[in-house]
Amino acid sequence: MKISRRSALKLGAASLALPAPAIAQADSRPTVTVAVQNISTSNTLEMLREQSNVGTRIFRNYVEPLVDTDWVGDMSLQPGLATAWERVDDRTVDFTLRQGVRFHNGDAFTADDVAFSFGPDRMWGGGAKEVPTAVVQGARRIFPGFERIEVLGPHRVRVVNSVPDIVLEGRMARTAAVIANRRAFMAAPSWMEWARKPVGTGPYSIAEYRPDQMLTLDAFDAHWQGRPPIRRLRFAEVPEVASRVNMLVSGEAQFASDIPPDQIERIASDPRFEVAGGPINNTRYLVFNQAHPVLANPLIRRAMSHSIDREAIVAALWGGRTTVPRGLQWEFYADMYLADVEVPKFDPAEARRLLREAGYRGEAIPYRCLNNYYTNQTATAQINVEGWRAVGLNVELQMVENWGQIQAGDKTSRGVHDWSAAAAVNDPSIQMSGTWGRAGAPWLREQYRNEEFGTLADELETSMDRPRRRIVWRRMLEIIEREDPGYVVLHRNANFTAKRRDIAWRAAQSFVMDFRASNWGA
Amino acid sequence: MIRFLGSRLLRAAITIIMVVTFAFIVLRLSGDPAQIIMGADAPPEAVDAFRTAWGLDQPVLLQYFHYFGAILQGDLGRSMRDGRDAIVLVAERIPATLALTIPALIIKLGLGIPAGITAALHRNSFIDRAVMLLAVAGFTVPSFVLGLLLVLVFAVQLGWLPSGGQESWRHAILPIITMGVGGAAVLARFTRSAMLEVLGQPYIRTASAKGVPWRAVVWGHALPNAAIPTVTIVGFMVGSLIAGAVVVESVFSWPGVGRLLVVAVANRDLAVVQCILLLVAATMVTANLVVDLLYGLLDPRLRNQPKRATGAA
Repeated sequence: MKISRRSALKLGAASLALPAPAIAQADSRPTVTVAVQNISTSNTLEMLREQSNVGTRIFRNYVEPLVDTDWVGDMSLQPGLATAWERVDDRTVDFTLRQGVRFHNGDAFTADDVAFSFGPDRMWGGGAKEVPTAVVQGARRIFPGFERIEVLGPHRVRVVNSVPDIVLEGRMARTAAVIANRRAFMAAPSWMEWARKPVGTGPYSIAEYRPDQMLTLDAFDAHWQGRPPIRRLRFAEVPEVASRVNMLVSGEAQFASDIPPDQIERIASDPRFEVAGGPINNTRYLVFNQAHPVLANPLIRRAMSHSIDREAIVAALWGGRTTVPRGLQWEFYADMYLADVEVPKFDPAEARRLLREAGYRGEAIPYRCLNNYYTNQTATAQINVEGWRAVGLNVELQMVENWGQIQAGDKTSRGVHDWSAAAAVNDPSIQMSGTWGRAGAPWLREQYRNEEFGTLADELETSMDRPRRRIVWRRMLEIIEREDPGYVVLHRNANFTAKRRDIAWRAAQSFVMDFRASNWGA
Repeated sequence: MIRFLGSRLLRAAITIIMVVTFAFIVLRLSGDPAQIIMGADAPPEAVDAFRTAWGLDQPVLLQYFHYFGAILQGDLGRSMRDGRDAIVLVAERIPATLALTIPALIIKLGLGIPAGITAALHRNSFIDRAVMLLAVAGFTVPSFVLGLLLVLVFAVQLGWLPSGGQESWRHAILPIITMGVGGAAVLARFTRSAMLEVLGQPYIRTASAKGVPWRAVVWGHALPNAAIPTVTIVGFMVGSLIAGAVVVESVFSWPGVGRLLVVAVANRDLAVVQCILLLVAATMVTANLVVDLLYGLLDPRLRNQPKRATGAA
């Protein structure tokens, strides 16, 4: 069928003559409400500022990076706003940009927007707007060796690092690497106003954001993947678990996130609902402070590691719905995943032997613990303390209220605390070298320092020799998990989302909630 | 009268200064906002940069004087988390909170006082026992339990009302009832005991003996004299209009001052917490001042003897 210019104009005029309700009725896509515990910890939607689990949940719906991740699949890197990429050398990658992509304000996506997104105006400070310190510091942490972006053409850019980086492509998949619209950024009266309504290319545009209340997204029908399946997507902030479940049961929400394991069976017993999710790319662990006089002795730390019955924790508190990983690594590390590594086994006899060897005399070890910042955190801490008591360790559980109190006081006063580690890229260098290496917070705080480990962490970060990197990685795990423990892996974190059973939707292996057509009704 | 008012205003000012000082000290002793806001894995130099940017690296005493000086100039500080003026953030949330607390106060007064009077006038009858049974139940059930029960019945089972959020007037019904019921129960108990005490006084018997109709005895003699303890309680309720819905706002995801306070405390957003506490203190102090003045109106003896009124307050 051939459409002439005149008939097209007639069609356009006819559609304008339609009353608004008639047009609205033509869109039969649903409005979906997701009840979440928290929309954003920083009250912004700018992912350079909102580096958090809850930010990870929402970002993919309104902004996109050059390199995408198969969140509901195998976590592999996928073409995103870049259709292809090519290694030029150890420090350089060229990206071919997707054509025909539009921002929510109608602007065409070009190489200039990529350069802007990684430029001083938005990322490094000193540009047109006053950027918060947290943004600049976060960017430095996530892109430690970033040097520059070269625009090679309207749809081609070159990313140059200052040092060799085997995971440069992976860094371009990070949540902080999403592409923003230059014109909208510049037009915003302040950074905060931009950060409350960033303009990206995602399948949904931000209609309204009311901090601590509601994020409303509307379908962006000009999205390069086609019309999104949901007309209006709302994230409602509902702090109480019971209230989130009530919203689901009463039909006000179609999804309720952050469901504790002990609520799963009750929700799933109603035939209208089910709970999706399971282990994610996040591991719960305990971290030691070497500066504490007792914990300075690695034998004590090793004894603590052998006194924890991880399988019992998983069975008792998680109903077996998560797993004990093979150290601080994930299967999607692919050729860097060491399938034969294990965490130190639960062995009270060995723990007692190590304590005797260390000459431990029952000195107190403080364990600062937040009240269920992590799911099941307090119960897990209590189990751990009893396990330590059983082998003769005197660990004092100190409940505190916030991270400031965990880090408070003289460095020798801090003993053990809880933490979690997430990996979004299929290589250990970002997570391990970045967090535990010489530039990581534990090293800088003198909480964990091991010269051999530090050197290996540097090598893992910059080496391009894959066989050598596997050897380095194995040795790093051996040091930090067995010889001179910096932490004790407990279990993989799990994330559960209650939802209506009649909605076909898959949970990701992360906190990401994917509402694209590829994950809706499939 | 001027002396009376002056002493009240001076006391109010001292109370507010004490609240401000206490909040300042407690907040600074209970966690480093830089570490909380920057996150657990923030490198030390980032945390230090944050401290410098917000003046947290200065001695606490100096911070206090800066803070206090700014308050005197009407500057309540900026939110570390949001970047905007704390007073703007708080002012944005006040209408939402008042949308719950004012109707709830009306329910408290409309239900609690008549119920208490009725119970007292029918002492030891079935009505009295029924009213007190309900009052004790309403008084003892925590608001978060009552709220969840109401949601279970009216939102989940019957589907008549929404369970949370702030999208229409229907969303306000359950939180208002939750707050109103508890307060009405308190008022009913206080009103009943105050009325019983007054009804046992000789002047009530005298009025009845003189042939004054019972209705006139109750309205003209019993109620005004029983009003003082009730007015005291109502004063507290009015004083808590601004931040008296912390639990209910959390249960019903209602974006008011209470929710803002919870989030601000968790994040040690100092300026916002201090601003809310200052506002609450000012409201409470004002309500107390009004109550003091009402004592004088209700009881002429107190008007003529300000020292006794002080004791009653």
